[in-house]
Amino acid sequence: MADTTTRVLTLLEKGPAEQGRRTDEVVIGVSPAFGDFFSRTIVDLPHAEVLRELLAGVEEQGVHARVVRVRGSSDLAVIAHTAAKLSGSGIAIGVLSRGTTMIHQKDLVRLSNLELFPQAPLMDLETFRKVGRNAARYAKGESPQPVPSRNDYMARPRWQAKAALLHIKETEFVRAGAAPVELEVLIRMADAG
Amino acid sequence: MSAANSPAQSAPRQSERTRVLENRPVNLDGFVEEWPEVGMVAMDSPYDPRPSVRVENGVIVEMDGKQRADFDFLDQFIADHAIDVEATERAMALSPVEIAHLLVDPKVSRGEVLAVSCGLTPAALLEVVKTMNVVEMMMALQKMRARRTPANQAHSTSARDNPIQVAADAAEAALRGFRELETTLGVVRYAPLVAIALQVGAQAGKPGALTQCALEEATELELGMRGITAYAETISVYGTEPVFCDGDDTPWSKTFLASAYASRGIKMRFTSGTGSEVQMGYAEGKSMLYLEIRCILVTKGAGVQGLQNGSISCIGVPGAVPAGIRAVLAENLIASTVDLECASGNDQSFSHSDMRRTARLLPQLLPGTDFVCSGYSAVPNYDNMFAGSNLDSEDYDDWNVIQRDLQVDGGLRHVPEAELLAVRNRAARALRGVFAYLDLPPITEKEIEAVTYAHGSNDLPLRDVLEDLKAAQSVMDRGVTGLDIVKGLEAGGFPDIAEALLGVLKQRISGDLLHTSAILTPELTTLSAINDANDYAGPGSGYRPSGERWEEMKRLRHVVSARNPEQELG
Amino acid sequence: MSSVELDPRRDYPLASNRPELLRTPTGKRLDDITMAAVLAGEITAEDLRITPETLRLQAQIADSVGRPQLGQNFRRAAELTALPDEKVLAIYNALRPRAATKQELIDIADDLERGYAATLCARLVREAADVYERRGVLADSGR
Repeated sequence: MADTTTRVLTLLEKGPAEQGRRTDEVVIGVSPAFGDFFSRTIVDLPHAEVLRELLAGVEEQGVHARVVRVRGSSDLAVIAHTAAKLSGSGIAIGVLSRGTTMIHQKDLVRLSNLELFPQAPLMDLETFRKVGRNAARYAKGESPQPVPSRNDYMARPRWQAKAALLHIKETEFVRAGAAPVELEVLIRMADAG
Repeated sequence: MSAANSPAQSAPRQSERTRVLENRPVNLDGFVEEWPEVGMVAMDSPYDPRPSVRVENGVIVEMDGKQRADFDFLDQFIADHAIDVEATERAMALSPVEIAHLLVDPKVSRGEVLAVSCGLTPAALLEVVKTMNVVEMMMALQKMRARRTPANQAHSTSARDNPIQVAADAAEAALRGFRELETTLGVVRYAPLVAIALQVGAQAGKPGALTQCALEEATELELGMRGITAYAETISVYGTEPVFCDGDDTPWSKTFLASAYASRGIKMRFTSGTGSEVQMGYAEGKSMLYLEIRCILVTKGAGVQGLQNGSISCIGVPGAVPAGIRAVLAENLIASTVDLECASGNDQSFSHSDMRRTARLLPQLLPGTDFVCSGYSAVPNYDNMFAGSNLDSEDYDDWNVIQRDLQVDGGLRHVPEAELLAVRNRAARALRGVFAYLDLPPITEKEIEAVTYAHGSNDLPLRDVLEDLKAAQSVMDRGVTGLDIVKGLEAGGFPDIAEALLGVLKQRISGDLLHTSAILTPELTTLSAINDANDYAGPGSGYRPSGERWEEMKRLRHVVSARNPEQELG
Repeated sequence: MSSVELDPRRDYPLASNRPELLRTPTGKRLDDITMAAVLAGEITAEDLRITPETLRLQAQIADSVGRPQLGQNFRRAAELTALPDEKVLAIYNALRPRAATKQELIDIADDLERGYAATLCARLVREAADVYERRGVLADSGR
């Protein structure tokens, strides 16, 4: 199981997140502590890999990807909807540190969404890649088949309380009223030597 | 999974018993330490407020140690709308133990308890249940449940949002005895088709089974207004201001929504549960139960007839801390104690351990509640789009045996296979008729055949999802209503199902179903806490399964005939 | 409003015990809602709705069995029967946190009162406006 190749994620804040102009973009909105205080999802997927798959999924569709950090909330719907409103195409992916993910569209009401992946423990790298791909296809005006939602009904008894602890921690990093910031994403291989 | 290789030389020798215990399913469950500062505590926190109340000029000016000027919006709503100002000072003068005695003592009537409970503040209600153990709470619950006859609710969903499966499983569930059926979606845009399927299946199974589709509030209301669904439940309330706002509502918006439903003659209840606030990170350092009591009183104040509670989708949180399941029972008890209908949870996957999930169920099943499960999965849990239930379609026989063993009515019955196959097949055919009438994507003979014999979506042919989603949108765009479904059923050659659905729709005109704990009987008569009020008053009183119902409960899949022990009665 | 005195033990459920008191918004009786009438196109969605009079009867029943909040809910509902669906949804959306300014809420309340004689609903909206102001859950008025 242990993958020996590790990638290191650096997220540099580049100033206030801007309103996107290009219609061929997807914005990825990450939560306050993503790739910062936290470095892994609830099932220990490195955030570097998560972001890499999301970006690759978007870009393989010929769509531009931009990453922002939503600092004012740890609520996935808020994060995804905030990112969607910044997106030139109106399409965004929101992702929490623990791995919960949503594809949102700016004209939908906040509590609605295009696709929701509510069970963080079931999010594997392949699913993140597909999420990126589908978001890009929505951005192109297509109607992709939704990513098959995996459904492990035993995730709750095993993970829910831990997820709550992770969420409490993430929420401690929320800065009420703080505007989203643009992120520069650097993913490099950990130097073994 | 043979991880039991010979241990490495350096590892300390492990007991064989430890190894056996380590592999027991219960050890796959998550357990966490209490952390009262952030609200990770079930019902006993040093940070919960102490009960108090002060009334001036007919207004509550102090509640639970807080002055009116410092009330958050929940405090204010509860003080102004939920608590009976006339009764509060007298009720609050009683000690928690005295009030708990009123609850437990069968010689004190339900009405006498209500005369006190209507004046209690959230902290006072918390102190009352803190004096009670689970057996005392069960005693109290069997008296305080609003409706005399217990009932049960099922989930009918599909991992592929397959409407034919939802219809067939709804029909089977209704035939097995569920009086409410709930669905939800993997892909939200599928909702109109699946909600139609649920409605058709329910009425094909047993007339009067009421249906709902759990969606975002405004969409859920729209489906209700159109008569595609019969009632609503996913109207969530929360115990702190920030979490309420994160849910994009306030007590006032929810109160208005409640009146909106009633204005269209549609039954509804709110939903809440322990653990949601701590799960969302804003528990304000209060215990899960204290916050849940605030939700219960918001529901009361909004003038809503009932509440789905018992942690619900957050059950993994109270389930992970000490006394969490006692707190979950306390939630149900308090909802009933303030005279609300209670759909009492047991509706979400709770444990890997069969023993533990049964133990979690008994506190509601034994005393009986208005709906023992607010979602028993009528499909295998892999198809349950509420992320699994505490009970699923593989537990039907266990449930029926437990009812029979203990002579306790959990609302279900054993149905012979031939009847199940017939009703599943008929529900699918009826749905085909409705789809054809409404010009929706066709349902094939192969699909009908498959769903008749299927256990879950894995046994079904795939549908053209994009065509279905287009059709779902057209249902909304064209303004299809429940009346169109009635016409489709009639046109498809299912006049009895059409008649049943029309009968359900007609309930809106009288509003009888709007009252506390109302369900429809298969004869389409309303049974609620008014004409079926719980009259439990100790041994020999109240609801006890008897007569025809008890005979029905005696039947199981395999019972050896007494007359001819070589035969089984199926 | 309703001069009928109801006894919940005798009269409830109204559909079975007092059907003569019930009408649809278009004046039909329960008995008129038949399958034949549906197929003949004589029944519309409008016929499958509750009237304010019926809601006030049910409010009376709720009060008399000791459920004043439920009764009050039915009375607010009686007022809302006059509003079109879209308007009901719009008011609900305006009552969501940070969705409306105080003035917008007050305007809604005025409209409810003047346009629909919905005094109870108007009172609820005004109360919300005050609480939202005190608790900071109004929309920014500068938007």
